[in-house]
Parts: sequence; structure tokens; C-alpha cells
Amino acid sequence: MEPKTPNAPSTDLSNGRLIERLLRLTWQYRAGCVRVLALQMALLALTLGGFGLTGLGIDFIRHTIQSSATPPHWPFHLVPPTTWAPMTVVMAIAGAIVLLALIRALLSSIYSIQLAELLQRHVVVNLRSKVYAKLQSMSFRFFDETASGSIINRVTGDVQSTRLFIDGVIIQGLIMILSLAFYLVYMLSIHLRLTLFCLCTTPLLWMATLIFTRRVRPLYRKNRELADNLTLTLSEMIQGIPVIKGFAREPEIIERFAVANRAVRDQKYALINQVSFFSPAINFLTQVNLMILLGYGGYLVIHGQLPLGAGLVVFAGLLQQFSNQVANIGTIANSIQESLTAAQRVFEVLDAPIEIRNLPSALRVPHLRGAVAFDHVGFGYEPDAPILRDITFEAGAGQCIAIAGATASGKSTLLSLIPRFYDAQKGRVLLDGMDVRQLDLNDLRRNVGIVFQESFLFSTSVASNIAFGDPAATQDQIEHAAKIAQAHDFICSLPKGYNTILGEGGSNLSGGQRQRLAIARALLLNPTILILDDPTAAIDPKTEHEIMEAMNHAMRGRTTFVVAHRLSTLRRADLIMVLDRGRIVQMGTHESLMKSKGAYQRLAAIQEVDVESQRLMGNPADPGQEAP
Amino acid sequence: MNKPPSGNLAIPPIRSQPQDEPKFRPLDVKIIRRLFHYTRIYPTLRNWLTLFVIVRAIQLPLLAWAIGAIINGPISHDSMRGTLFGCIGFAGLAVFTQVMFAYRIHMGQTLGERVIHDIRLQLFRHLLTMPISFFNRVPLGRIISRMTSDVEAVRSGVQDVFFVGCVQGGQTLVSGILMLWIDYRLFLVVISMAPFIWGLSHRFRERMSEAARAMQESFSRITVTLAESVTGIRVTQGFARQSVNADIFQQLSADHSRYTLNAARTSAVFLPLLELSSQLVTACLILAGGMLTLNVSHSLNVGILIQFFFLSTVFFSGLQSVGTLYNQALMAMAGAERVFRLLDQQPDWEDTPYSRDLPALNGRVECRQLSFGYDPARPVLHDINFVAEPGQTIALVGHTGSGKTSIINLIAKFYLPDAGKLLIDGVSILDIKSDYLHRHMAIIQQQNILFTGTVMENIRVGRPTASDTEVTEAARQLDCLDMVESLPQGLYTHVGEHGAGLSLGQRQLVCFVRALLADPRILILDEATSSVDTVTEVRIQKALAQLMKGRTCFVVAHRLSTVRYADQVLVMDRGRIVEHGTHTELLIKGGVYANLYRQFARIGLGGSRT
Repeated sequence: MEPKTPNAPSTDLSNGRLIERLLRLTWQYRAGCVRVLALQMALLALTLGGFGLTGLGIDFIRHTIQSSATPPHWPFHLVPPTTWAPMTVVMAIAGAIVLLALIRALLSSIYSIQLAELLQRHVVVNLRSKVYAKLQSMSFRFFDETASGSIINRVTGDVQSTRLFIDGVIIQGLIMILSLAFYLVYMLSIHLRLTLFCLCTTPLLWMATLIFTRRVRPLYRKNRELADNLTLTLSEMIQGIPVIKGFAREPEIIERFAVANRAVRDQKYALINQVSFFSPAINFLTQVNLMILLGYGGYLVIHGQLPLGAGLVVFAGLLQQFSNQVANIGTIANSIQESLTAAQRVFEVLDAPIEIRNLPSALRVPHLRGAVAFDHVGFGYEPDAPILRDITFEAGAGQCIAIAGATASGKSTLLSLIPRFYDAQKGRVLLDGMDVRQLDLNDLRRNVGIVFQESFLFSTSVASNIAFGDPAATQDQIEHAAKIAQAHDFICSLPKGYNTILGEGGSNLSGGQRQRLAIARALLLNPTILILDDPTAAIDPKTEHEIMEAMNHAMRGRTTFVVAHRLSTLRRADLIMVLDRGRIVQMGTHESLMKSKGAYQRLAAIQEVDVESQRLMGNPADPGQEAP
Repeated sequence: MNKPPSGNLAIPPIRSQPQDEPKFRPLDVKIIRRLFHYTRIYPTLRNWLTLFVIVRAIQLPLLAWAIGAIINGPISHDSMRGTLFGCIGFAGLAVFTQVMFAYRIHMGQTLGERVIHDIRLQLFRHLLTMPISFFNRVPLGRIISRMTSDVEAVRSGVQDVFFVGCVQGGQTLVSGILMLWIDYRLFLVVISMAPFIWGLSHRFRERMSEAARAMQESFSRITVTLAESVTGIRVTQGFARQSVNADIFQQLSADHSRYTLNAARTSAVFLPLLELSSQLVTACLILAGGMLTLNVSHSLNVGILIQFFFLSTVFFSGLQSVGTLYNQALMAMAGAERVFRLLDQQPDWEDTPYSRDLPALNGRVECRQLSFGYDPARPVLHDINFVAEPGQTIALVGHTGSGKTSIINLIAKFYLPDAGKLLIDGVSILDIKSDYLHRHMAIIQQQNILFTGTVMENIRVGRPTASDTEVTEAARQLDCLDMVESLPQGLYTHVGEHGAGLSLGQRQLVCFVRALLADPRILILDEATSSVDTVTEVRIQKALAQLMKGRTCFVVAHRLSTVRYADQVLVMDRGRIVEHGTHTELLIKGGVYANLYRQFARIGLGGSRT
């Protein structure tokens, strides 16, 4: 399925450039390629030898019982001694066939292993690791713009298809050319005119195969798209079943599925038409060869110009092999197309510039104090659509800064500029008075701990998830971080404690537990700056307080940025910023903001208990205060 | 058959085949018969196809025999006329064979495609008759693999295994008979190799499928790691862990290459052995032929030897493909069995034959001594009694697991009560058609489900016959037309999977408009606003109030602003209604509700609408 989101910034390479680079890639593995080709040539010689011997055997037997028949033509003047009984000669020939076959089997075994080693052990592993390593350091922009399925494919399918250029195109192509040459020479050596007559259909065969390949390829691609679409429709319908049943929309949904289902079937008919025309046609062309052989070859045998065995029978075998090789052209054409498309996508990753990179003169800063300042910062994922405009504020070391605002007002974007997930396009982001772009990237990020809205956990153990930022962390360090994050107790109650393996995406934990693990993970490196990007957003409000407490503990002694909506968090902050469409519209403490009419007041009002209810509860306590 | 070019554009399919689902299943006449039953509606196609299969099985050995016969006959006997006639005969046979082949492929593939199409549609229809409980029980991946990998297995069973298998089997049989008829002694030589070749290729397939499994497992480790790396890229970069990950991946990659090499080695041993054995057949034939011709008083013609070269090739190639097909057949059996099992599964319950439409729905809902459990042995609702008059708003309050959503599931007739009565306008819910009920009811849930398509199409799910103007009007009524129109293409903005492209608040509003368009008498809001931030909520609340006006509403909410103005508040605890009254009454009472309210208020979930 073609990814729906636009692909990564494409560095469109021309086919010529692509082929040049692929050839250079192949050149790196030239020794392996030559070895594989040499083996293939030996195999070819053995096949021809086998054919020759079979023909020889037939001719010898025929000549022995019917002396008028063409006498056998002994290769390399290896005439058997006349003292040998005919049966002995036959046995010798049969023995030679078996011997050749044995060697052939052995060599062909070695050939397959060598080829697999070259491709799977070297080419694929190297290329894959390279692409993966590069992916890891790509900027978020790439991941935002490229569908995740497409990214995964680049490392898996596309790498395999790229290596297809080495074996499917270069090696196979050379093998095809060489074997065709061998067969041709051999056939010509048997009989010139017979060869030419028999091969007159070859160009036709060649063309038919190519046309077929070209016609069928887009049809298969289309079919796959339609089938994917069908699966997508199905999965969406099943996930939406409460809505479908809730609105009693079964008939409409069945119709929608039926349309997609019919589309798959009807498109397949076009494919079937092509296949059922070309397959028999290609088969027929090879049979025409055979027909010519029988007619003209028969004539030659009858007139004693061609031996029956070494001539006609061997020729029949050779023709079969020859046609097989010719038909290979279709596969090779496919491989060229496939490997070029894939290589384009692989090179795109390898060539993509890393937008966020270390300056050569980057400052090493193992420990920051934690003062953060934004100086007229402007930013947009696309330059002409700014998300942040003219953001200016200062946060002292150890302060807590709360950010409020509606969805898409720019809160997360603002925070992502601090650890340099993106670079500001206007203005500067300063840490301890230094522009973040001048700091060593790894140092910077180790100084900043982040908890996201929905924390991604890896499907490894609890301990290695907490120690994600520092795989060498000791158990004590891990437990210490877990304790601050209020996670220690529930971790201990898991079946295997800290060694419990998490399901994919942390699926065996509740939302609150996942976020507490994420907080522990952020605290492990004891960061100077802590970013809490609305960690309660995806959490059931009923269990929200579990995390609130963990957050409160985590904030102590650090410069903390927190996206929040709850009054209880907001009123604790040293500075509150209210964002609206990328601008700071209000800034100040809770008390000062409550005094001025504006977004903050409205936001606070919705959370405050009305006077009447307060009176009824007989509890005049301000809801924002800590419980007594 | 031509293999599809292995596309590089597709997302690697998620192999969701769970461990407990066997890949193979022995041949089963019942399943085969049932599959064959699907061809019943295409009798002409099926009958012609059967005929062609038989003709093909004879043609192929016949062609091989013809080549041998021409060499053996006219050419060996120096008859140019004979050779010419032979060639013309051969040409005729070849043309005929290929024409048959064209029809065989065309019909076989077409029939298979139609059968699969029918099975898929039948499966989907059947799925939709299942009640919600089925979908809560059966994981999505399993349903999808029924429709994809299992149906695919059935397809290859029909298209490749059955028809090709018949052709190949027939070809083996006919060529065997021909050889037996030509010379039984040489045939014995050929047949003596058969068990060896069969055994060898059988063993090879076994070893190969083991190796392939190990290869697939190591590959799925790669894809899982990759998927996690991509999804977790923010974490990885945020914690500066790129190089550690790269090392881990390199190891996984090397590990996978080891398994791939293992598979390659297996085939590197077996494939040459198979080829070798066919060469051995040739050597044996020469030997035996030589012996018979030279020693035993010329009882054998050399031409016969040549005949055997061609026929034995056909014989063995048929034999080998039958072996491969056998494996595929077992896979098809397993797939078909699972598909049929799903088709045979009866819904837990269906509308009774007495159920009917009501002349009009007012929206009075009454529960009398209602009790219910998803597992009847463990009831989650006990003795629920209340009456909701038309137009009232009923708030359901309580902790997680107290039974709020279960009550809603019963009112929506997603589940049936175990005991007691649920009456709508005085009629038992069991006697009302589900369809009718659902057309007069709208449910908005926390996960606000949207489908791929435009915003307009999504809203229209509420009432497919609504015109564009009506949709716009509905949005205007909810005072959110400006929000919808601010989308890139307004109402025609494309919504991606899972509502991608819209913010949470926008998705929520689309669901509201969808519900309004349906103009339900009964409206159910199951934590409808809990995933929206407070700033957005301020905006949504107006729309919500508008939506609820004049309908019987059931609201599950933990934001107390909604509860504050409900006509009745039902406080639930462990499956029972423990308090019942208005907000004010319950606060004065100072019981469970007052406590709960105080708790919520403390974390800022309380609130007024001023």
C-alpha cells in the first residue's frame, strides 16, 4: 500500500545516478560475485557434459545394433578400447554421467551457500544496519512526514529489494548472457543451420516475456492496493462496530464492504486475462522450437547429417534449457524495476541530511544549572505556517513553569524546542545563557528529562525501560528513580517485579502505571530540566491523582515545564503561560491571572465548584487547595 | 503460474496468526465438499473446467510421447514423409494443448476468485449479525486473519491445489500408464526411483518449513524492534540512546541472517540431491536400456529408450508438484476449517421473532429489578430500578467498575438483561427490533470512533439520507460550523485512520453532529468529554447542551458540571444504585455522592456552567 502521508523530502535520484550507485555497491562485493559466477560456469559446463554423454550413450547403443546408423562421435578422442564389450562401454558412459551428476550436485550446493552468504550475511546485514543507524538520528520531521509502515519497509523489504540488484540483476544477468553463449556455441558446434532455424522464435519469446512482465506488474500492484484497502475497510468496520450497531447502519456498511470486495475481484479478472493469454503463448513458442527441431532435425538425421542421440536428443534438451534462460529476461526486468524503486527509497534515507546536528565546536556541558530563556522564538513545521510566534520568557533555575492552552495552540511544540527536537527558525532558545544550538546534543538531551502525553514503553523488562537512558545503571539507581516516581510499589507487585517483561507498548500496564514508569525513566539521569508534556492527558481522570503525586515528587529541585489544565497544578507554578494559536496571550502567577478577565479565568471557572454546591457541601474549602 | 512481483510498497503484513491456530490440518472430505458447494452457483464454469482438467491431464504426457514417437518412428526409420506428418500432428496437438491451457487457467482462476469473493462477503455479513459481546471477546487480529490469511489459504487451495493438483496427478498417472504400456521392464527401473524422490522431497519440505519458521520468527523480532524504534523515536532521541539501539539492531540482523543461511543450506543440500536423482534415472535408463538392447537378443528398440527420457521427465515433475501441492492443501484445509467455524458460529442472541417496531418512540425508559452479568455466574448489576421520563437527563455516577457502562449497554440493547425488565415506552426491550431501537438512539463514547472518508461522510453515518444542507444545518445548530469550516477543506476534509487529521476536540464535535443528525429520542453519553482538555471543553459544552435538549439522556460522567443539572442522579456502587436524587438533594443528604463530589472537586473536576 502506498503510504498516504507524503513521503520524506525526496532527493529524487535519476535512474542513471541510481544505477551508478548500485554498481558501486556491487563493486564492494566483487570478490564474492566473481566466486559465485565462476561456480555457475563450472555448473554450466557440467550440464553440457551430461547432455553430451546421454546423447553419446544413445548413439553408441544405436550404432552397435544397427551399424548403418551414424557412428558415435567420441569427445576429446577418448575412443574406448575395441577390446571392451559394448555393455562395458555403456556402463562406462552411465558411470560418467553419474560422476558428472555427483560433481554437479556438490558444486551446485556450494554455489547456493556461497550466494546466500554473500547476500544475506554481508550485503543485507550491512545495508540494513546502515539504514537503521541513519534512521535513528533522523530528525522528527522525517518521522512526522513519513508513514511508519513506509519507514519499517525501508529497513526490511526495501533493503532486500535493493540487494536484488546484485543477485537478481548483475549476477543473474551475467549468468543469462554466459549460459546463452555457452548453449549457443555448443548448439552451433553440433549443427549451424539447425541452431539458427530452431532459434528463430527466440526474439519473439523474448518480446512476449517482456511485454507480459510489463503489463502484469502494474496489475499486481493495483491488486495489492485494492486488497490492502479491503483489509483496512474491514479492520475499521470491526473497530467501529459500536457506532455501526449503535446507529443500525449494517446495510450501508455491508454495501461498502461489498463494493471494496467486488473491486478486488473485478480487477483480478484483468490479471487473469493477461496470465491466461501469455502463459500458453510463451509455452507455445517454446514448442514451436521443438517442432522445427523435429522436422528439420529429423530430416538431417534421416540424411545422415546429424546423429540421433548426440544430435537430436541433446538438441531437444539444450533447447529446453535455452528457452528457460531466455524466459529469465522477464524476471530480470522485474528485478531491475523493483531494485531501482527500492534503492531510491533506501538511498533517500541514507542521503537525507540530518537537520539537527552537533556543531564541530559544540560545548560539552555535563551539568547545567537549568535557567531557560526563549528570546523572540518563532517556529513552524512548514516555514510559511508558523506554529509559534514571538515567544519570549525567562525561567529561573529550579522554577516550575506551567503552560495552558487549547489543543494545537503550540504547547508541545514549544517544549520540543528545549531538547532541540526541532530548531527555532527565529530567535534563540537559551540554556544557562547559551544558545542550545551551541551545546553538545547528547549532553543537552541528557540534561533534559521528558515525559510525553502518551509514553511509549519498549517491550523489554521494567528495569531496562527505566534504565533506557543509561543501560549501565545499577539496580539501586533504578529503584531510586522508581521510588521518586511512586512506581516502586506497583512494580514490586508485578509477577516478576523489575524483571517483568512488558507487552508491546506496555500493554499489560494501566495508563497511570505507564506514566509513572515514564517519569521514573526521565528521572534516572537526574536531569536538571524536566519536561512534563501533559502526562495526564490520556489518563482516566479517576486515577489521575496517582500521577499527580508522582509529578509533584519529580519536580522538586528541577526546572520543570508542565503542560497542565488542573487548577491544583496550575496554582503551584511559579509562572503560568497561556498559549493561543502560537502566542503567549497571558503570563503570570495564578493569583495575578485570576484578576484579569481572559482565557485563564474561563478555564479556572469551569473547574471551580459553584457557590451553591459549596454551601451545600458545608465545605467552604477552595477546591484548588491540597486536601487537608 | 507466474508469481506476483514481490512488491516493496506494501506494509509488511502483520502476521497475527495466533500460536494456538495450527497451520496444517489433515484432508477432510466434509470441508472439501463444503468448499466445492460454493461452485454450485457457477455450474457452467465448473463443468467446463472439470472437462478441461481431464483433457489437460492426458495432453501433457501425450505431447511428450509424441516427441518420442516421432524420433522413434519416422526419424529412426528414415521416413521424411512420416516425419513431416508427425511434425504437423505435433503442431496440432501443441496448439490444442495451449488453447486448453489458456481456458483452464482462465476458468480455474475466475472460479477461485468468485468463490473467494463470495466467502468474504458471506463472512462479513455473518460478522455483522454478531452482537457486540462477540467483538469484545474476539481480538481484532483474529477476525482480520480469518478474512485475509485464512481466505488466502482457501484461495490457493481452490485455484492452485485442486485444479493444478488434478492436472499434475493425472499427468503422472497417464505418463505412468504410457510407460507401462510401452515397456514394463524399463518402467520398473523408473518407478524404483519414485519412492526415493518422493521421500527426499518430503523430507526436504519438512526441513524447509522448520527452517522457514525459525527464519520468520527472527524476522518478526526485527520488525517488532523496528516498529518500536519508529514509534519510540522521540524517547530514543530524547534519551540520546541511538548508538545502543543500533548495536542491538545489528545483532538482531546478524541473527536473522544466520537463520536465513540455515534455510539456504537446507535447500542447498536437498535441491541438488533432487536434481541428482533425476540424473540417476537417466543413467539407470541407459544402463538398463543398454542391457536389454545389447544382451537380451535385441528385445528392445533404442527408440523406446528415447521415449522413456521424455515420459519419465513428465512423470517425475508431476510427482514432485503433487508433493508440494499436498502441503498447500493441508494449509488450505486449516484455513477453510477456521473460516467455516466462524461461519457456523451462532450469535449469542438474536431479536426474537415477536420483536417489532414501535409506532413512535417517546423515550421513556424504565428498569425493573434488572440484573445482569457478562458472565452469568458473576453478575455486575443487581436489582436496578428507575424510571426516566421522556426528555429527562439521567446522570450515572460512581467509581470504575460500579456498573455504569453495563446499564448503558443494556439500554442500548448491546446485551440482554439476565433477569428483570427493561421497558422502553412501556414495551419490553426484548420485543423491540434492535434496528428500530438503534435508529432512534445515539451513543457517544469516549473513543469517538470515526471512519476514513470525509467529515461529511462521517457525519452522515447518523442518517445516510441526509442532504449536504441538512448536515451543514446540524453543524450550525450545535454552534460548531465555524470549527468544522476552519478545517482545510471544510466538511470535505479527509479523515485518516482513527480520525487522523482532526484534533480530539474536533473529532468529538463530529460525533456530536453525527448524533444530532440522527435526531435520536434517546441519547447516551458515555464519558463523552473525558478525553478533551478543559479549554476545548468550554467550547464543547454549549454544543452538548444543545444536543441534549428535548431528548432522554443518559450521561456517564466524572466531570461534575454535567451532573449538576441532571434531573436525576443515580449513584452506583458495586452494581447497585446506592443513592438516587438530584444534585442538590444528594449534597444535602451528605452521603456517598457528597463525598464523591468533594473528591472530584479537589482535583478540579467539579464545576459550574457559568
